[in-house]
Amino acid sequence: MATIGHNNINAKLVLLGDMGAGKSSIVLRFVKGQFLEFQESTIGAAFFSQTLAVNDATVKFEIWDTAGQERYHSLAPMYYRGAAAAIIVYDITNEDSFARAKKWVLELQKQGNPNMVVALAGNKADLEDKRKVTAEEARAYAEENNLFFMETSAKTASNVNDMFCEIAKRLPRAQPAPNPAGMVLVDRPSEGSRAAASCCS
Amino acid sequence: MYGTQSKIDHALEYQAQIAILRPSIHSRRANLTVKFQDLYGFTVEGNVDDVNVLNEVREKVRERNRLWWALEASKGANWYLHCSMGEGSTSSSLKSSLKLSVLTNAITLKKLIRQGIPPVLRPKVWFSLSGAAKKKSTVPESYYDDLTKATEGKVTAATRQIDQDLTRTFPGHPWLDTPEGHAALRRILVGYSFRDSDVGYCQGLNYVAALLLLVMKTEEDVFWMLAVLLENVLVNDCYTNNLSGCHVEQRVFKDLLAKKCPRIASHLDSMGFDVSLVATEWFLCLFSKSLPSETTLRVWDVLFYEGAKVIFNVALAIFKMKEDELLLTRHVGEVINILQITTHHLFDPDDLLTVAFETIGSMTSNTISKQRKKQEPEVMKELDERFRRLNSLKI
Ligand SMILES: Nc1nc2c(ncn2[C@@H]2O[C@H](COP(=O)(O)OP(=O)(O)OP(=O)(O)O)[C@@H](O)[C@H]2O)c(=O)[nH]1
Ligand SMILES: [Mg+2]
Repeated sequence: MATIGHNNINAKLVLLGDMGAGKSSIVLRFVKGQFLEFQESTIGAAFFSQTLAVNDATVKFEIWDTAGQERYHSLAPMYYRGAAAAIIVYDITNEDSFARAKKWVLELQKQGNPNMVVALAGNKADLEDKRKVTAEEARAYAEENNLFFMETSAKTASNVNDMFCEIAKRLPRAQPAPNPAGMVLVDRPSEGSRAAASCCS
Repeated sequence: MYGTQSKIDHALEYQAQIAILRPSIHSRRANLTVKFQDLYGFTVEGNVDDVNVLNEVREKVRERNRLWWALEASKGANWYLHCSMGEGSTSSSLKSSLKLSVLTNAITLKKLIRQGIPPVLRPKVWFSLSGAAKKKSTVPESYYDDLTKATEGKVTAATRQIDQDLTRTFPGHPWLDTPEGHAALRRILVGYSFRDSDVGYCQGLNYVAALLLLVMKTEEDVFWMLAVLLENVLVNDCYTNNLSGCHVEQRVFKDLLAKKCPRIASHLDSMGFDVSLVATEWFLCLFSKSLPSETTLRVWDVLFYEGAKVIFNVALAIFKMKEDELLLTRHVGEVINILQITTHHLFDPDDLLTVAFETIGSMTSNTISKQRKKQEPEVMKELDERFRRLNSLKI
């Protein structure tokens, strides 16, 4: 159970973004520390959980990794409803995926939880020679829209944990639970997940 | 099947072999996880008990084989091919005495199919009973060849997505994940995307077509199985632009769960858990991403003979089997864990199908059609409103 003075937070987090942008790979890197050259395409959505210790709190992320194909869009509200955080992923080597990311931002601004922490992730940063979207362009867009921005690589692990840490830090403390059972503690680790990681701060 | 992408590890395989021969109490206690290949070449992870169950399943498959051959000897070769349950059967032209034998055969066959079609007979039985053979017979012999030739080298939004998914469909499978496997899967999916441009390519179909390939062996037959599945067996628009058919099925499923498993439904409801969160993938991939291969194919045996309502029976059964555990959950994550572990370890198809057809009880296609009719306008309304709201966001 929680120690005195220690904050335990359950946070629902959703990943959105174009097909093949690397949503599942980012989650796999964060939850299991692995990367697969060929990651199965996601249908509907996949669920993961991972606990992270930030300086003043333990955050248990309940992660919904959604399917990216355009027509799956109609399923997305079910996954982002009540989410405390979202990571919108695009592929830096693919301009269309950046355009798609902007649409997601717009949708969350209008339909999502107003206190949602939204991160923009420019993934596949290891593919510098194939880059189509500059970091400057994305950063400027993120600033305009109050998002927090990072370029990541699920392949090299660059910035992946940092991004989740940053989200954990930004989550409102003593958060009113987004779902009815939001503050219930679960001690059982989920299948295959690593032990609680901690943030270097 | 579900994400165990690693190539077969020989050391572990060796371990699994030992386990097959002599599952020691020691290894049971240690609850060792072993990797092994199942009947269709998928690498699966399980404990020693799972290996034993899978061996029992292999033995049951052999028994079924013997049974089907014996029936073939007594009822005549291919007797089962004349038992189509669907409309358009030729029985009207037969004499009444013959009709009766057709009827008894149909009843025998329904029972037999629920007990499982032997893998060697699946291609023939599925092709005929699903209506794929009939569909194929209405077009010129060269239809599929012509289609693949005509579409070769064409680039569309669908072909680009298909190309992205070829290596992402059961990666690591010893045949599917080879250039030959990718090429066959590509021709089927591309061909279909041109046959029905409303569907084009929908993610999920890659898994369905890939598993069909492992069963049917012949690429062209897979194409027709996919066609009959999308055009006749499943409800309309499961895979078209906003998946409206899938939304309808999800709503019907929720109503059925409330009716057939009221305690589970109200418990999950009180937790704010929407069953579609997990069930959507089951419906779109027809369980191929969640259940072990032979279990999935046993579901498909019945699906192709009795129709799309079977998906409801099976999905309800997965919840029903874990009723006690599910009622104790207090958190969304726990529910998902239970369902995932359960589906991944359902190595004995009979465990699932007994609950699906005996415990859940029968639901007529008629009742389900009525429920779909009821939900359709509401789904359309909801999707339409959403579409308009999103469009109004654009500046
Ligand atoms: N080089 C490189 N490749 C990556 C990176 N992240 C993902 N990939 C590859 O890109 C492909 C798609 O990655 P996924 O994680 O499956 O993408 P997704 O967004 O989950 O895709 P959908 O499930 O179809 O929506 C995979 O083959 C990954 O190996 C990365 O950071 N660098
Ligand atoms: Mg994915």
